[in-house]
Order: sequence, then structure tokens, then C-alpha cells
Amino acid sequence: MSEQKTVLIIDDDRDFVAAIETLLTHYGYRVATAADGRAGLQEAKRLLPDLILLDIIMSERTEGFFVLQEIRRTAALSNTPVIVVSSIYSDQPIFRISPEAGWLPANLFLPKPVEPARLLEEARRLTGGGGSQATVAGGER
Amino acid sequence: MKILKMPKDNLDLFVSVLPAFGQVYAPVRRGSGYAFAPPARWSEVCMDYTRTHLPPKKFVLPPREPTFRFDPGQGFQDLLAEASTPTVLFGVHAYDIYGLNILDRVFAQGPYKDPYYIARRQSTAVIGADFRPDELHFALSMNADFVDSGFDLFLSDLGDDYLVLVGTSRGDDIVLLSGCLMEEPSVADIAEYKRRSNLRRAGYRNRVKLEDLPEILEMEYHSRVWNEMGDRCLSCGSCSTVCPTCYCFDVSDEVELGSRAGQRVRSWDSCLFKTHALVAGGENFRAARSSRIKFRFYHKQRGFVAEYGRPSCVGCGRCIEVCPAEINIATVIDSIRGERDGSASSSSASA
Repeated sequence: MSEQKTVLIIDDDRDFVAAIETLLTHYGYRVATAADGRAGLQEAKRLLPDLILLDIIMSERTEGFFVLQEIRRTAALSNTPVIVVSSIYSDQPIFRISPEAGWLPANLFLPKPVEPARLLEEARRLTGGGGSQATVAGGER
Repeated sequence: MKILKMPKDNLDLFVSVLPAFGQVYAPVRRGSGYAFAPPARWSEVCMDYTRTHLPPKKFVLPPREPTFRFDPGQGFQDLLAEASTPTVLFGVHAYDIYGLNILDRVFAQGPYKDPYYIARRQSTAVIGADFRPDELHFALSMNADFVDSGFDLFLSDLGDDYLVLVGTSRGDDIVLLSGCLMEEPSVADIAEYKRRSNLRRAGYRNRVKLEDLPEILEMEYHSRVWNEMGDRCLSCGSCSTVCPTCYCFDVSDEVELGSRAGQRVRSWDSCLFKTHALVAGGENFRAARSSRIKFRFYHKQRGFVAEYGRPSCVGCGRCIEVCPAEINIATVIDSIRGERDGSASSSSASA
């Protein structure tokens, strides 16, 4: 059994957070949550999680982008894997700048609604092993 | 020069992609004023700021800058790589860009090129923004209310949109990335830009007459105004600290305890400090406060004109704002000209 990994979810959508928390917990991750960018940064600095799932549109539509920049400025978090999970491209059609164009300092962008199996696979990859049953999730696909 | 238009509603999305070009610094609230700092969220960015406490000088000529390390075993190791960190300055006013252009003349275009300054300047993208002058700005008088170089992009307020001037190939790269947020300006947009430019120029309440000033300073070298200023000046150096174009620096070697290794550091200095003209043997060429404040005015308004063809002052108003003795460059110049009651110049004993 691999070491239990901690995932911090920063998202203001309580239903989304509850669903992903249930999923990750089931597969052996320790999960912490924060409902906005400011609280998320505080939690990230306190917990030093193994992975951060970050929403973009929260109290401001670009809040997650600024949180991500602060995460990368923080020495203890500068190498922490971050998956941006957001609906910004469907919510803001004018914003057509690809997340892969080199401006987004995240490890991965996943559009909402996110596929649970894909999320588990990427969480396992980015945390170097993941939760105790995460490999089972991979095998179930 | 390429000209585009960007709806103000897109500005937060635009700033979100700027990290592609470096660490973003923008005007945010700091105490009772503003500072260029990384914003924690878009709503912290103040596009209507008056002036920042410190000018953008701090990014190209840091207050304290280790330049190289020395070690008996390893020799010298320059720290130029640290000076090449990509940075984006967002929302810089025209007079501050003019200030950077003046520093360029001294550190990048003069006979003594400074590799540290050049590395920082080249690594720094500058996105300008226009502003509404307050009662302290006199950039119009210093011909620094408008710039046509020294920036990558410049945003001019059109009401619901910004007119975007593209100044460099790096600015063009930023537009290539964020182009979906911009559009072509119309003839009406250009007309609105000109109308607002005229309004902004008319909005300057603080004005300084520069005509013949170098000659008048030459004639008024022994004016009693300098003694009066010397009596009031506290030699705190605040004016030169906040000045976008004051560039005096000191150099010191910091040796590590128990070792012969260390680093050479340069740090901001001020000609207002008593030690500025102190030399070996204890002689001080400007021991009197009056001679130091006179030196500062003469360097800015006369010596720089002789050397570079224009004063080094850009009319930002910072020195007026911070001076604890309420010395106001605009009124000092008026006094030297003899146009302020009770301060008409007269030759008297030198300072």
C-alpha cells in the first residue's frame, strides 16, 4: 500500500466538491477543501498537499488564475502539481486562448464536467502513486 | 505602430495570460497609496491609481542588488542570471515609462553600459496605461505626459474600451497570444482617443515653466532660495528614493563571517545624504544641506539637460507628495524664477 496522498480542492461549487471529495476519499486520498481562492491559498500553505484541484471562476471569473500565480510564487508550493478543473472555456466563449499555449502554470487543464476515471488517472500520475486503491480505479477503466 | 482595441470587460482575462511573459506586477493598494505588486486577484488591480509609492525603477535598478559573489576558492561568479527573471509591469503611467527611458540613456545607451540594468530592462515587459492627472502631477510641463517608446503595449482609456498601442515585437507576441480579446479600432475610436487626450492635457493643474530654466539656474547659483531650502530640508533622501530617475548608488563588499568569501552589493544612495560627497581624509564637498539640495536641483534641471538634452525630472509629483518638509519642486522653480511672492531671487552669499 502506497503512502496516503493529500489532495486540496479549491472550488466554490459545493456539489462538485462533495462529489470529488467522495470519489477521492473512496480511492484512498486524504482530501481537504476550500471554497474560495484566499482560503485555498491558506490551506495550501498550511497543508502542503500532494496535489491541488483548482477552479477558476469563483467569486471573480479569473480568481483561479491569480491563485495559481500565487501558488507558483510560493517556494513551498512552486512544484506542487496543480490540475485546473474549470468551465471557463464554455462559460466565457470569447476566451479562446488554449491552456497549452504556455501561459497557464498548471500541470493539466481538465474541462468541467470532469470524467472521474480521467481525474483519478491524472491524480495518480501527478502524485506518484496516489491513494491506496487508486490503481484499482485505473484497472477498472 | 499597430493599433488595436480591447473591451474593458476583457482586461482581467488579458492579465490572466500575461504570466506567459513573466511575473506580473500591477498597481495595487498599499496603505494610503499604491504599489506595483503581484495582485492576489483581479479586483485588487487599481487602474485609476494616481501614482505608486516607488516608481518602476525598483525593477530595473533594485534598492539592493547583489552583483557578484567572490570566494578565494572559486573566484568570481556574477549574478546576472538573477537579473534576467522575466517580469511584466502592467499599468505603468507615461511619465514612469519616460523615467525608464531616461534611465536607459544613463545605463544602457551611455558610454558605461551596465549589464545588470540592461538584463533587467530587457527581461521586463512594460504595459502602459494612461491616467487622469491629480493636483501634483506636472508631467505635461516636463513633456513626459506621453511616450512613443519604452513600452511593449500601451492602453488608453476610451470609456468602455482601451485603445492598445503595440510598441515592440514582444508587445506583438502578447497580442498574438491574447488577440481573441482584441479587435480593430474604428474611426470613431480614434476620434474619441484624441478627444480624451486633449481633455487629459487640459486637466493638469500643476504646471511648471521650463523655458530658459537652465540659463536661469546658471544665473541664480547663489540665490538665497537655496539657503532657505537648506534650512527646511531634513536630508532624509525621500525625494530621491521615490524619484523615477534618481540613480545614485553605493557599492559595498559584504564579507561572510569567518570567511574571505562574500558578495558585492550595490544599493540606492541619495545626494541629499551628508555622506554622499564625503571623501577620504574627511573632506566633504557638500557638507551644508543647502548645497546638497541645490546640487539635486541642478543635476535634474540643468546638468542633465547639458548631458542628455532634457531635464531628468518627469513630473510625477512623488517628491512633492513624500517630502516631510513640504518642499515642492514646482514652487522652488517658481521662486528661482522670481515668480513667487517673497521668494524673488537675489544674489547673496553662496551656500
